[in-house]
Amino acid sequence: MKPDSPTEILIDGRSPTFREYCLELWKFREVAKMLIRRDLIVRFRQTYFGLAWLLFKPMMLMAVMSFAFGFLAGFDKNHSVPYPLIIFCGVIPWYFFSNAVPDGMNSLLGQLHIIQKTYFPRAIIPGAAVAVDAIEFLVAWLLFALGCLWFGYLPGWQVIFFPLFCLQLLLLCTTMGLGLAILNVQFRDIGNLVPFLLMTGFFLTPAGYTITRIPEQWQLLYALNPLVGIIEGLRWSLLCGMDGFPQMPVLLSLAVTLAIALVATKHFLATESSLVDLA
Amino acid sequence: MGDIVVDMESLGKRYVLSHQHRPDSIKAWLRSASGRAFRRATQPEVEEFWAIRDVSFQVRQGECLALVGKNGSGKSTLLKILSRIIPPTEGRVRIRGRVASLLEVGTGFHPELTGRENIFLNGAMLGCTEREVRRRFDAIVDFSGVERFLDTPVKHYSSGMYVRLAYSVAAHVDAEIMVIDEVLAVGDGEFQKKCLVHIKNALSTGKSAIVVSHSTVLVKALSSRVAWLSDSRLKAVGTIESDILQRYADSI
Repeated sequence: MKPDSPTEILIDGRSPTFREYCLELWKFREVAKMLIRRDLIVRFRQTYFGLAWLLFKPMMLMAVMSFAFGFLAGFDKNHSVPYPLIIFCGVIPWYFFSNAVPDGMNSLLGQLHIIQKTYFPRAIIPGAAVAVDAIEFLVAWLLFALGCLWFGYLPGWQVIFFPLFCLQLLLLCTTMGLGLAILNVQFRDIGNLVPFLLMTGFFLTPAGYTITRIPEQWQLLYALNPLVGIIEGLRWSLLCGMDGFPQMPVLLSLAVTLAIALVATKHFLATESSLVDLA
Repeated sequence: MGDIVVDMESLGKRYVLSHQHRPDSIKAWLRSASGRAFRRATQPEVEEFWAIRDVSFQVRQGECLALVGKNGSGKSTLLKILSRIIPPTEGRVRIRGRVASLLEVGTGFHPELTGRENIFLNGAMLGCTEREVRRRFDAIVDFSGVERFLDTPVKHYSSGMYVRLAYSVAAHVDAEIMVIDEVLAVGDGEFQKKCLVHIKNALSTGKSAIVVSHSTVLVKALSSRVAWLSDSRLKAVGTIESDILQRYADSI
């Protein structure tokens, strides 16, 4: 906004359309940048290892999961691909999801004091919270690349689909974060319910095992969990088409993701301007 | 007379006071939903309350409008709608230019961040790009007088330093319209004088302001017009020389 071109603002209490809201977000992109920077700084300030935590966390996670599912549970038999890499493709998306959704959900309630005093599009707050986790998520794939070097493993042509599955996961986490953030302000029950659901969800997600562990007749129901399609898709794209293309889970997951995104966005747009009155 | 920068048309904000408990949990919501389904009882316990109603006025460029009125007359609600923190129920406001609301300065500050980092964060929230903040950085720091502690997290600031820095950021974003709610009650006398001079300077360079204050002296020193809110409605609006301020003073 230049001082010489005064912008005209109309305040009339109407809920914005999706297009109007996107323009508004673009206008305030500077706030998004600053909030993401703030959250990153705050997360690693007064830590001895600083940004190195971005790599430590997935590393420890992969070691623990490989030990638990591969060694203790003995799932590491009959695979053509190194088991730690299979685990990695499941655990990293799960770790992102299980952090981003509650972080997004709690962001509005936790920063109500800012919302009550200044204006900017509210979606920036949960958006920035999810974005910080997304940065960790993306950095974690560097570790995957290192793992591939270690095991002397090279992904095939399917790797070109890797960004698409990442994008889908990002869409899922962001919109769930947005929707739950508003719901959490309206009904504080949500904040108690979601961590419990996430704990259950870990066992219903192929993070430490693959979908082939699930009996054939249950797989359709199982794949209603949108993470199933995303994780199996990521494995397919990064591990040379391991077990063939998981068509059913991927399509089902795409449909569920889009449905969630639509409902969450609609609810968010309808509610965001009166957020302070609801709190 | 300059152009109209704030044009308010019959603005109203309604709150619904429910004498029952508002459903703030899913359980309560289910109970009230099932109650509605089974009891067919209409609920007369709901009462409407208009925090402001049918308020219209205009602010022109370079003008400072003072809002006066007793506690609970709707001044804060009006300012919150102007700063887009809450939506109006009816009516509309057309605003030309950027609004910097000094409602409660420093609310965007994060305690773990340093003064320097907070200047940029707060500047963004007030609608400035990083480049714009960088350009005004020295002026902001000078005005606040906290340069020695710029790289200290603001959690270690004294409350006076905190407020001075916050006010300096808000005052330097060069917004076309300043919304000021009793913020001049911050800082010591010296800092208050500095703020007053700063606001006057901004007004003389074509900025506009809406000021809420209970201090008649301050209102007279700054404003050219005055609007009197009473019981959620606009009782009178006119120049500062008119008898409105006197009538308001007599009414309390």
